[in-house]
Formats: sequence, C-alpha cells, structure tokens
Amino acid sequence: MRVLSLHVNGDRVELAAPDHWTLLEVLRYRLGLTGSKQGCDKGDCGACTVLVEGQPVLGCLTLAASCGEKPITTIEGLMPAHLAAGGTGPDPVQAAFDRCGALQCGFCQPGMILSARALLNRNAQPTRPEIRAALSGNLCRCTGYTQIVQAIELAIAESLGVEPCAPAWAPGTNPWKLAAPAEPGA
Amino acid sequence: MLRLPQFELAQPRTLDEACALLVEHGEEAQLVAGGTDLVPNMKHELFTPKVVISLAKVAELRGVRQEADGALVLGALTTLEALAQDERVRARAPALAQAAGLVAGPQLRRMGTLGGNVMLDTRCQWYNQTYFWRQALGFCLKKDGSACHVVAGGAKCVAAASNDTAPALLSLDAELVFHGPAGARRIAIDALYSADGIYNKTVRGEILVEVRVPATPAGHRGAYGKLRERGSIDFPLLGIAARLDLSADGTVASAALCAVALQARPLRLKKAAEVLLGTRPGTADFEAALQEAGALAQKQCHPLDNIPGDADYRREMVPVYVRRTLLAAAEGSGPVHHV
Amino acid sequence: MSARDVRGPGAPWPEGFRLVGKAQRKIDGLSKAIGAALYTDDLVLANMLHAKILRSPHAHAKIRAIDTRAAQALPGVHAVITGECMPVKYGVIPWTPDENALALDKVRFIGDEVAAVAAVDEDTANAALKLIRVDYEPLRAFLDPEEALRTPEPQIHEQTPEQKLKEHKGNVSKHVRLEFGDVDAALAGADVVVADDYEFHGTTHTPIEPHCALAQFAPDGVLTVWSSTQITHYVQKALAQVLELPEARVRVIQPCLGGAFGGKSDPFALEFVVAKLAMLTGRPVKCLWTREEVFYAHRGRHPMKLAYRTGARRDGKLTAVDAKILIDGGSYSSFGLVTTYYSGQLLTGPYHFPAYRFDSTRVFTNKPPCGPKRGHGSVQPRFAFEVQLDQLAEKLALDPLELRRINFQGENVKTVNGQRVTSNGFLQCLDEVERASQWKARRGKLPRGRGLGVAGSMYITGTNYPVYPNPMPQAGVQLKLDRSGLVTVFTGGNDIGQGSNSIARTIVAEELGLDPADVRVVAADTDLCPVDLGAYSSRVTFMVGNALIDACRKLRVQLVAALAEHWEVDEARIGLGNGRAFERGAARTLTMREAFQLTEARFDTLGATGAYNTPKLGGDYRGGTIGASPAYSFTAHVVEVEVDEETGRITVANCWIAHDCGRALNPMLVAGQMEGSAYMGLAEALMEDHKVNRFGLHAGPSLLDYRIPTAVDTPELHALIVESLDPEGPYGAKEAGEGPLHPSIPAISNAVFDALGIRLRALPFTPAKVLRALREQATAGRGGSSVRPARVASEAEPSC
Ligand SMILES: Cc1cc2nc3c(=O)[nH]c(=O)nc-3n(C[C@H](O)[C@H](O)[C@H](O)COP(=O)(O)OP(=O)(O)OC[C@H]3O[C@@H](n4cnc5c(N)ncnc54)[C@H](O)[C@@H]3O)c2cc1C
Ligand code: FES
Ligand code: FES
Repeated sequence: MRVLSLHVNGDRVELAAPDHWTLLEVLRYRLGLTGSKQGCDKGDCGACTVLVEGQPVLGCLTLAASCGEKPITTIEGLMPAHLAAGGTGPDPVQAAFDRCGALQCGFCQPGMILSARALLNRNAQPTRPEIRAALSGNLCRCTGYTQIVQAIELAIAESLGVEPCAPAWAPGTNPWKLAAPAEPGA
Repeated sequence: MLRLPQFELAQPRTLDEACALLVEHGEEAQLVAGGTDLVPNMKHELFTPKVVISLAKVAELRGVRQEADGALVLGALTTLEALAQDERVRARAPALAQAAGLVAGPQLRRMGTLGGNVMLDTRCQWYNQTYFWRQALGFCLKKDGSACHVVAGGAKCVAAASNDTAPALLSLDAELVFHGPAGARRIAIDALYSADGIYNKTVRGEILVEVRVPATPAGHRGAYGKLRERGSIDFPLLGIAARLDLSADGTVASAALCAVALQARPLRLKKAAEVLLGTRPGTADFEAALQEAGALAQKQCHPLDNIPGDADYRREMVPVYVRRTLLAAAEGSGPVHHV
Repeated sequence: MSARDVRGPGAPWPEGFRLVGKAQRKIDGLSKAIGAALYTDDLVLANMLHAKILRSPHAHAKIRAIDTRAAQALPGVHAVITGECMPVKYGVIPWTPDENALALDKVRFIGDEVAAVAAVDEDTANAALKLIRVDYEPLRAFLDPEEALRTPEPQIHEQTPEQKLKEHKGNVSKHVRLEFGDVDAALAGADVVVADDYEFHGTTHTPIEPHCALAQFAPDGVLTVWSSTQITHYVQKALAQVLELPEARVRVIQPCLGGAFGGKSDPFALEFVVAKLAMLTGRPVKCLWTREEVFYAHRGRHPMKLAYRTGARRDGKLTAVDAKILIDGGSYSSFGLVTTYYSGQLLTGPYHFPAYRFDSTRVFTNKPPCGPKRGHGSVQPRFAFEVQLDQLAEKLALDPLELRRINFQGENVKTVNGQRVTSNGFLQCLDEVERASQWKARRGKLPRGRGLGVAGSMYITGTNYPVYPNPMPQAGVQLKLDRSGLVTVFTGGNDIGQGSNSIARTIVAEELGLDPADVRVVAADTDLCPVDLGAYSSRVTFMVGNALIDACRKLRVQLVAALAEHWEVDEARIGLGNGRAFERGAARTLTMREAFQLTEARFDTLGATGAYNTPKLGGDYRGGTIGASPAYSFTAHVVEVEVDEETGRITVANCWIAHDCGRALNPMLVAGQMEGSAYMGLAEALMEDHKVNRFGLHAGPSLLDYRIPTAVDTPELHALIVESLDPEGPYGAKEAGEGPLHPSIPAISNAVFDALGIRLRALPFTPAKVLRALREQATAGRGGSSVRPARVASEAEPSC
C-alpha cells in the first residue's frame, strides 16, 4: 500500500492503493469517479480516456502510483470547470453531444468527449478528417461516429457563430436548434 | 477488471539511481517508460516482475536536441506524438516522424515513448494473450511452454519485431546510447536486434538513454509505409522504411530499405535498396528500379503466421509497399497508409 | 389491452403533433455526457465480494472430478461453487433447455464455465481459481459444422438411449424445411435460373461495456440482481427457475446499459453465479467479465453456408426461390430454434415471389455459442439473396435497382409464407437512394475501381411469438400523475442505448401536453415496472409505445373531463399542449400542474395502466408464427466503394441508407439507429471475424484482434428517413434499429462487382479474397469471375 496524493479535477485527494493498481481502478473504485469506463482494460478501446496534463491518455495502462502531481481531468471534471470559468451548464462539447443524439448507450462517451475536448483545446477549428483522426483511439459501437462528428462540428460552429452543416436526415435545416437546452414548455 | 499482478513500483529520479535499482533487483525487475507495452504484457502475465522501475521521472532521458553537425539527439522518454510533431524530426528524418505518427492510436502515442518502442517486446498471436488463453493450449516456446505453434516442431521462437520506429531508425543508421553498470556506451541500432523471438535484443540490464540520428544530407528523402487493417490502433502487419539520399544532380546517391513485422529481427533489405543507386526519380530507370526493388524485397521477406493477419497476403504486399514507400520518399510525401 | 389497430397514425387533436416528428434530446443524454449515469459496474454495495469464473481449457471434455479444497482454504475466499450447486438446466427458449449455470458433467467449448469463487477482492478470487483442480476426459471436438453434421457421435448434447432410439439427432440442433407453392415446377418453368453458393462468417456484438452483474440476497428471501441485461424479464424467470425460488422473490434491475445488440439477451452464467454466491455468503457479490470472457459468451451471428436458386421470367419477375442453409450453432441452443426459422421465414419481402422453399439445419459445434445479433437470423440469407438478385440482373442485363423495383411486393399483401405485410415504403426507399447516390448517372459509369451497389431488405417490428407462449400482454406500462405536475412512467422496456426511455417520454409528453422535462421514466426493474418482454426483435418502441398511448388516452379522458367541468365548456374545446391546458378559441389556460390537481380532486389519485398485445398473425402451419410481426420495416442501401486493385483493399466512400420506419417519432434517434446499423454491417463485411483457431480457442478475444472500425475506418453515412405511417404502430412508427443493417453487406459485394466485375460471395471481404478474385478474373480473361466458397456439402436430411 502506498499513500497517493493525486490532483484530480482540481482537488488534491489522498488515498491508499497498492502499486499494481491502475489509474482507472483508483478513479473508479477508490474515488468513486465511475464516469471513466472500462471496455477492455488493456489499451484497445479508449473508454478509460482521461486527461493528464490536458493530454488524452488511457487510465487502464497508467499506474496510479506514477501520476504524482500531474493534474488529471476526468469526465466528472468538465462541467464544474466550465461553471467555474463563468460558463453555464455543461461543457459545450458535452452539451453538443447531448443535442446531436451522439450518446446512444453512452459507454464510450466519457472517453470520446475528453478526446474531443482535448482536440478543441489544441485546435479550435479542426477539419473533419482531423476530428476523425483525433477520435480514432476511442471505439464506439453504437453510433457509426456520424452523430459524434456532427456534435463536435456543432460545438465548433456555435463557437464561431456560424450555421453547422445539416445532416442527411434534415437537409437544409439546423435540427439541433430545437434540441437546445431546456426552453420550458417548448 | 483484467488485473495486474502485484509488484512494487520504484520511481528513481536519476539515471544512476535507476541503474542501481536494476543491479539490485536483476531478473526480478522490469523497466517501464510509457507502460503501453509492459502493462498489457503484465496483465497477460507475460512478465511478473517483483519490482517495476519507472523511468518517467529520470530527467536525463528527456528532450530533443539538434547538434551542431545536424545530428538529432532524441531522449528515450520522448513520446511518439512529440516525435511525430517535431519540426526538426519531420525535416531531417521524415521516415521516423511518419512511423512515430502511425504507432497505435492518439492516446497511446501520447503515452508511449521512443525508448519503449525501440525496446518493444516481440509479438505473436500465440503469445500476446491472457494466462488462461495461453494455458488452454499448453503455452508456447516464448513463454512458459516448449512448443512453437507457428512453426510445427520449431525450436526457435519466431515472434515478430513489431515496432514501427525500428525500420525507420535502421534506415537512418541511428545509434543508441545505453547506460549500464559499466557506464554509458553507444551502439549502432543494427547491433541491437537479434533473430531470437524470445528476446530480440543484444542488450540486457541497461537503460536506453537516447537515440542519435546522424545528420542527413540536404538531398535526404524518407518515408514510412505501414500495412494494417484499421487506420488506427493496430500494430503493423508490415512496416517499410525507405531512405533515398539524392545527390545534387537528383540521382540516388545512397538508399536504404528496412522492414518490420516479419520475424524477430527488423530487416535491412540491402539488395533491394542497391538497385536504386544511380537512378533518378521521375525517370523510367527509377520506375524499373522500383519494380526490381519490390521483387528483390519480396524474395527476402517471409512473413509467418506469427502475428495475426494472412501471411500470404502480407508477403504479397511486400513489393507493393516497397514501391509505394520508395515513391513517397522520392516525392517527399508519405506516409504510405490506407487512411 | 388492445392491438392498436383502431387509433391510426395521426394526432387525434386538432393542433397536430408538437413533439413527435422533431429532434428531441434524449432523457439520459446529459447524465451520460457528464459521467453521472450509472452502469452495473459503477454500483458498489457495502461488504461486497467479487466473483470470478473458472473456464474450460478444453473444447469438448467430460468432467471427471473437481477439487475445490485448496481454493476454499485460501484466506479471503468466501465460497466456491460448481455445477452441482445449480443443477437445473435452462435455456432462453423453453423448448431447448440445454445450459447449466456452471458445467455439470461436461464442457462444450473453450471458455465454458466450470466453477466460480467469491472472495474479498478480484486478486484473491483470481488466485483461488488457479487452485481449483479439474480432471477432464477430452472428447473428440467438432469445429467444422459439416463434420459435426456427418458425425452423430459423440454428441455434443447427449441424448438418453431412449431418446436416441426414438430419434437419433446426432449433432443437429434444429432442422426446418418449409415449402410454399411448387418450387421445382416454378424453377423448371423459369426463363432464367441463377444458382450459387454463399458463405457468411461469424461476427459478434462487441458492446463496449463488458457484461456485469451484482446480487444481493436479503434475509427475508428476496434476491435482487442488477445486471447488464437487455431482457430483465427473462433473467428474472431464469434466475427463479435455476435457483429454485419463487419468481416473486426475484427482482432484476437493469442499470444504464453500455450497448447490447442482442449480446445481452440470454441469461448468462454470471447472473446465476453472483446470485448463488450472494445466497451462500450472505454478502453482496459482483462479477465483471473481462473483455476476453465477453468473447467466449458470444451469442453472436451464426456462420452460415447458403445455397440459393432463384428463378425469374425474362422481364425480371421472380418466380421461385429455393434455399438450403447450414447453420453453425456453436455449443448451445440459445435462440437457435428461432434463428433456424428466421433464416428462411424473413426473406419473403420486400419482393414478391410465388414459390419458396427453405431447408435450414443448425448444428452444434464445440465453439462459443451463437445467438441473436442485430438482424437475428436474417442478415446472412439477406446477404446471399441480394447478391443473387444482382447476379440475376446481370444475367438479364437489367439495372439491379430496377430489378428490385419491378419485384416490389406492394402494400397490404400476404407473403408467400403467410405473413401479413401492411405499410411498406420500400419503393420510396429505392427512390431515395437512387436520387441521393446519383445512381442513374454514376452506376456502371465510374472509372474502374469505383462502383455503386444496391440492396434491399425487410425486418420485423417485434414478433407475435413471445419466447414463452402466454395470453398476457407483451408490453405493459403504468403511469403515475403527481400533483407537482410530474408524470412518472413505469415500463419494463429495456433502454439499451437505443433511446426507448426517451421515446416513452416523448409519447407521454405529447399525449398529456407536458413539457418533456416533466416526464420521468423508471424502466427495467421487475419490482417496480409492469412486464415488458424486453429489448429484442426491435419491439420496444412499437409495443411499449402503443401501451403508453393506451394508458395516456385513459388519463386524457379524465383530464379533459375535469377541465371541461371546471371551465363549464364542452369537452371538445379542451386542449393540452406546451405544458398547459387551454380552451380552444379562448384565452383561458392552466398549467398542467394545476390541471393535474383539479383532476386529482375530481377523480382521486391519478394513474393508469396501458398494454399492448399483437393481433393474431402468422401462417397456419407449424412455425408459421415465427417471423410474424405486426409491422415490417424496409430498407434500401446504395454503397459506393473504391477498390485498390494492387492491395485488394475495399474502401467504402459513402453509404446511403434509406429506411422506412413508419413514422420517425424522433428523427435524430432514428438516424442514429440507421447509421449505427449500417456501420455494424459494413464492419462485419470488411473487418470482423469471430473465429477459433485449430485448437478451438478463440483466435483473438480482444478489441485489438477482433477489429471493430474506428472513426477513420467508417465512411460517411447518409441517413435518409422514409415514413410510410404504419396503421398499427404508435403514431405510425415501426422499427429502425435492426433493419438498416441488412443491405450494407450485399450492397458492398454488388458495388465491388460494379467497380471491378468480380463477385464476392464469401464473407468477410478481405483484401486477400479481392486479389484472388482479380487473379481469377485475369486468368479467365474478360467477362468476370468470382470467388466461390465450397458448395454446401451435405445433402443429409436429418429429421428434427
Ligand atoms: C492497442 C495498442 C496498439 C499498439 N500499436 C502499436 C503500433 O502500431 N506500433 C508500435 O510500434 N507499437 C504499438 N503499440 C506498443 C506501444 O504502445 C509502443 O510501442 C510504445 O512506443 C511503447 O513505449 P512505452 O514507453 O509505452 O513502452 P513500455 O511499455 O514502457 O516499455 C516497453 C519495453 O521497453 C522497455 N523499455 C522502455 N524504455 C526503456 C529504456 N529507456 N531503456 C531500456 N528499456 C526500456 C521496457 O522495459 C519494456 O520491456 C501498441 C500498444 C497497444 C496497447
Ligand atoms: S479500457 Fe482502457 S483502453 Fe479499453
Ligand atoms: S454510444 Fe455506445 S459505444 Fe458509443
């Protein structure tokens, strides 16, 4: 057992864990941060993606004891950070995923959203191939990735104040306007 | 969860400390850098070290610098992503930058290091599996067993070198600086790899500190070609690094072709490279040389059913990838990859 | 309870739909996006133990003895169980109970479950597994279905001597032969007959969430199991049966589910194991499978060898279809009885053919058991048949899209096998993909290496065959109206990511005029929710949707009556919408909260149940109800490929998916199902292969070796929604989650033919197969050649 002092979602947290525990195990089963998912536990799927020093890495291959002081962001950290920075509601990427229907079973999505967040942090206007490449370490079995790419493009379009590209099923329209966050009674 | 076996983690801060730990624990220790190879391998109980020595905090292994003569010195801890993005590497050693940029997927490239890639364990479909799986068929030559499932009756392990940077570094005549109990030494990368699939390296118990890429001439061209099923994540089913150094008149003054994901040792395809000498890209001569290089390379490459993927198909792809990668090098494009 | 054949697809109120038909956010989207949604492995109970399962390293062996003493003695181990602790056999289809929670006397594939341990943590449980000694007597293992069919002994599932005397089944799991019309005569009289063989490989579901279950046994005898299942109701029944508990003492809850696709439909060993271990230890027990274990559990797509003969007139009209199919079932029955029927029964649309015969045989082999995967039983025959239609078009020099058009069966028809087809938007589907892909301008005219291919399909929207025959409703719901203005929906329907809870919210909000945010859904908890048969056969939106409308209309009557009385106006003047009750043509409004309170005061506590059952359907013959559905969905795809002739690699550049879903209640969710389905079909065509090696061991049970496409491997998917407004679906809706998978696979093969003139008839379409076909084409000279799988070898006609 080793006492770890981790820097998770802006908090310093202390806990005890054996050296052979991965960061994913510590997040999920010691800290109760179960938003980080496990789909393969050996680096093949990306469900366990978290940001370490802002970079997307795999929690299932990271030894918790090696994380030291490095800041770690999990999916649970995005909305609080957005609120603390003066925003409203969830992170715009999270909101866009929701509005575009990108979350089917949702199991791949914490990792997917964090990969997308890291992409937009380093490149505010990625092209579609760049978006696909940045997500290519996160497997999704439900969506065929289309609505995920649409969500990221919606977040980009809104950050630039332009209309997003319409989906095939609603040509010439922006169907996601209707799905914008809660307009009571709408 | 797929649990890791128990071990103690040591996190030395200096090279000397790390070396001392290696000496102290000997066979019971394993070095780890990014962990993207060792951690899955430990989960598969291929390695069950008592002590895992993390190199992550060793400052001497960090950084990329360019020496006065143009040589690049790449710290062993340089991540593959950093390598792929580094302007100096892209300009002076494009094959290496391209190979690094095609390793695994985006997250793994941010974790995995150059040192770990050079020192990557060989791979085999009968080996990179869980304990249960391997036990179900009585284990194999490389680990815990005595039979080879690739070559019936084979006495020599034929697990394949599967590290994308190895052929690129071979083509660049890279040198490796190791630090061991006896201090530092520098070896040519050709001297590192051996043909033994169980452990395909000649160096044990030493730490790779840096990789030196000698200065490349002004006319240097390089590219990397990678065959794999998916456009991301997958290990190579075949990797080809091509180097063409063009002289002032545009003819090929020197050439190298190297391949990986065939057998335990990354290969130099010397004969295939030689036919390019003196030809000029864009001419019919060069085109003919490409064809010949492909055919000669195919003669030298014998993919086995060691890694997943149809071995006959992999063999069929040797000339195609050799030609396409050489062409990409000549054009200053690349990588050769289906997405 | 009633079949919804009376209400019609429109809105019965003059204002029309407010929510239905528009993109709506999902009820659980944000909770999933912020990482708050709880999946089974996210649940932790105090004092919880961890279970691990010991698996067989032999493909086929007798168990002579199991010694668990050393494992039991390991500190931290609380219980070790073997098959003897749960000897009752079960099977998801009650007619074929051939599974044990843990193997009783023999193991049938590498990975079969043999024993289980509960310990303080996973490490201890794993260590204990290594201490269990099992004495096996290996038996001859069958990895090839043809060999298993030829070889009656040893039987993978042994019959008693008496049973054998009556009818020796050998290794046949199920045989079905049905003929409609005179096929031989029709074929003999046809102008052209195309005959060929096709091969479909094994593929698996690969949800990203591995299976997990958690059990708690209370001293009062109530067992609670949280499980990543897509059919809570059947798990409850199976647990009661195997653990010999009254059903009323077993509660099954499905937490948020991380994907299923049919792979979480069977009751699985881990559910029985955690339950039994919780009962034995008095502590909660959790078991989380590793990814490798998920591959062994499988229940994925059956490999099939298919031989088809299709006869047609010179003008392209089909006259007869004859199919012979060999199905590799793997080691257990699972849903195999249904699969065997589906392999033939679901082919009889969207085209009309007057004579049809199929002869399907499912055999056991010593491999992970196959079961239902998205498009259960019908994806494989659809592949073969749609490629054969393309061959027919080639032979007749007809445009393959046109050939499909002229054979359209029409609306409101009876198929050759006696199924009732009502709404049918297949022609519009063809029109849509033809238009969007610029078929006329581009098909057959693209440069060599690029091509377009078309395929069509039909699929069921639920089935009127419940897994256990009973006269009760297939779907039940309950609504609770709260004086706060909140409505809570209780439904047994399983939301597996497809969004059925979101659809429930939309329907209830639409019916009762509510803000969707004021509708909450409690689903898939057998203690709280009325029975629904679960998420399979694409039945939830249709059946639960109809049940919800049923319940809402009862409440609407009360609300309208109370409001009319309150405002002293005619009931016809009362409207509900946008969270308010209003008087038509007047300014008076109330919030729905006020309306609920008024109604509660008038009628007492508000609530209602609703139910749905299918009308009587199906052909009048044995098996005639299998494949009978209250509504069929229809799909057409056009796929555009680019083939690299040097590497043999097929790249799908575009996939246009036109799908008739009746009415798109939420087009965004429909599009998501269409895209996800097409993705999965393309993936099985080009990459995935669930295969065992020569030892019978899964060749690569990991997400590295079983390759599912990443974002860069997936083409642009264009979802084109077609709405035929089904007379019986909720507001006219039909399914969208399985149908759109079917055509992607044959459409690729047909597109490759357009690109290169080679016919790919054996899946998966690997680059090596493409190169082989190109070589054959080159040697055969111009005019096209093919990769031909071995013919379906066996002519044996087992009777079972
Ligand atoms: C899903 C998946 C896909 C992958 N795909 C690819 C791929 O396409 N191509 C590819 O090349 N690799 C691939 N890899 C392997 C791996 O990610 C990379 O090779 C990576 O570069 C390894 O670096 P690391 O720092 O993580 O190595 P580690 O796991 O830390 O170490 C690997 C080995 O090198 C030794 N080692 C590490 N650093 C040193 C040093 N400085 N001195 C001496 N010994 C050292 C370790 O002891 C260990 O034996 C993949 C891995 C996964 C999980
Ligand atoms: S769980 Fe970490 S990559 Fe799959
Ligand atoms: S939403 Fe289910 S795996 Fe991506």
